[in-house]
Amino acid sequence: MSDAAIITTNNVNLWYNEKQALQSVSIKIPKNRVTSLIGPSGCGKSTLLRCFNRLNDLIDNVKITGEIKLDDENIHAPATDVVTLRKKVGMVFQKPNPFPKTIYENVAYGPRVHGIKDKVQLDKIVEESLRHAAIWDEVKERLNDSALGLSGGQQQRLCIARTLAVEPEVILMDEPCSALDPIATAKIENLIERLKEDYTVIIVTHNMQQAARVSDYTGFMYLGKLIECGKTGQIFEHPKEELTENYITGRFG
Amino acid sequence: MAEKFHTELEKLKADTLEMAHLGRFMLRTAVDALIRQDAELAASVVAQKEEIHRMEVRLEEHCYHLIALNQPMARDMRFIACTLKVITASLRLGRYGKVIANIVKEISDKPHIANLMSIPHMADLVIDMVDDAVASYGSDNLRLIDDFSSRDDTVDALRHSIFREGITYMMEDPKNISRCTHYIMVARYLERCADHACKIAENVQYMETGERVEIH
Repeated sequence: MSDAAIITTNNVNLWYNEKQALQSVSIKIPKNRVTSLIGPSGCGKSTLLRCFNRLNDLIDNVKITGEIKLDDENIHAPATDVVTLRKKVGMVFQKPNPFPKTIYENVAYGPRVHGIKDKVQLDKIVEESLRHAAIWDEVKERLNDSALGLSGGQQQRLCIARTLAVEPEVILMDEPCSALDPIATAKIENLIERLKEDYTVIIVTHNMQQAARVSDYTGFMYLGKLIECGKTGQIFEHPKEELTENYITGRFG
Repeated sequence: MAEKFHTELEKLKADTLEMAHLGRFMLRTAVDALIRQDAELAASVVAQKEEIHRMEVRLEEHCYHLIALNQPMARDMRFIACTLKVITASLRLGRYGKVIANIVKEISDKPHIANLMSIPHMADLVIDMVDDAVASYGSDNLRLIDDFSSRDDTVDALRHSIFREGITYMMEDPKNISRCTHYIMVARYLERCADHACKIAENVQYMETGERVEIH
């Protein structure tokens, strides 16, 4: 990969109790690019994604070895502040999960937690985040309405706005469109394309066409291993590994 | 769903091979008709024009349909891309067969000059290339096409030789001009058929390896 890396993993192994979910995964995630992780269910792609903001810490009996660096800092080092890490590495989940609060409060919540109290500054952050997430025009007249009244696609973009509000460097997306209809999916995909100007996006998706459409780089995982990672055009046109070829042509998985 | 798609790809391959064999058959039969000065045989080639056109349309539509409904990737995508090229090349082979067959009608009244010069030999080489290119598409066997560059050079050299020889006979006697011009044109068509065989070979190479090669 020729682009500069923002996240680098080196020989990462992960066990849930006795079960090994990641095996010697070494990958470089290029900065300001979209990288997608594909592979059959249970291949470890979501587990790998959750390593990048230490979300696996929340699960009992998880053991991780190897090195994961964000901006050359080991994110598993004892000195790493997990709250700061998760500010730098935001996450959007499969099912939109807005807080049961107003649209405004959903976006303002993160900056408030990180100490911003000034109303004018919060207003600015909320508007900019909603604009960045391509939902401002749809919600600007009803910022004080409940976020739960939005459609699924709007809720997902609100969740992206909520992530952007704390100015992350990396945005992790775990199947962000799988609960959305094709129109809402197209809006999220257009948004991902714009987001890479300012952020690094890593997306886990079952949908290979989506990976092909939105990402610059694609990694294929199988049984906990990273089988192949390269430019998306190369992976989908002529992958180097037969396993990748067989998976993306639907011969298994 | 993938299984159904792959079954469809197998069927597409079988149908494309059938079309390629028809294109090859039209070319071979036209050359035989030329050698034997058999206007009736030549007419049978011209009559197959509609059939090969129908096949082209039907197979191309099948390709587009498979692309639209399955968004093929990797090997499957490369297979369909290659198949579209094989379809085009097969149509061209058939059409050159038809064009040569039309020439037969015009020059079967008098004996050939110099036993058609090197045209029969050139035609054998070209049709062997077509056979190997089509067989490599059908069997994924790249060894059949690994010497295509030198075989194409031989065909080019024969075309040049027929051109030179034709000019010589024309200079000897202006009455030969019409007939020799047809020979030169046939040599040119055969050379183009070898180029189409090379195109198929290039695309089979891409289908198999993902690497683009150019056969000169």
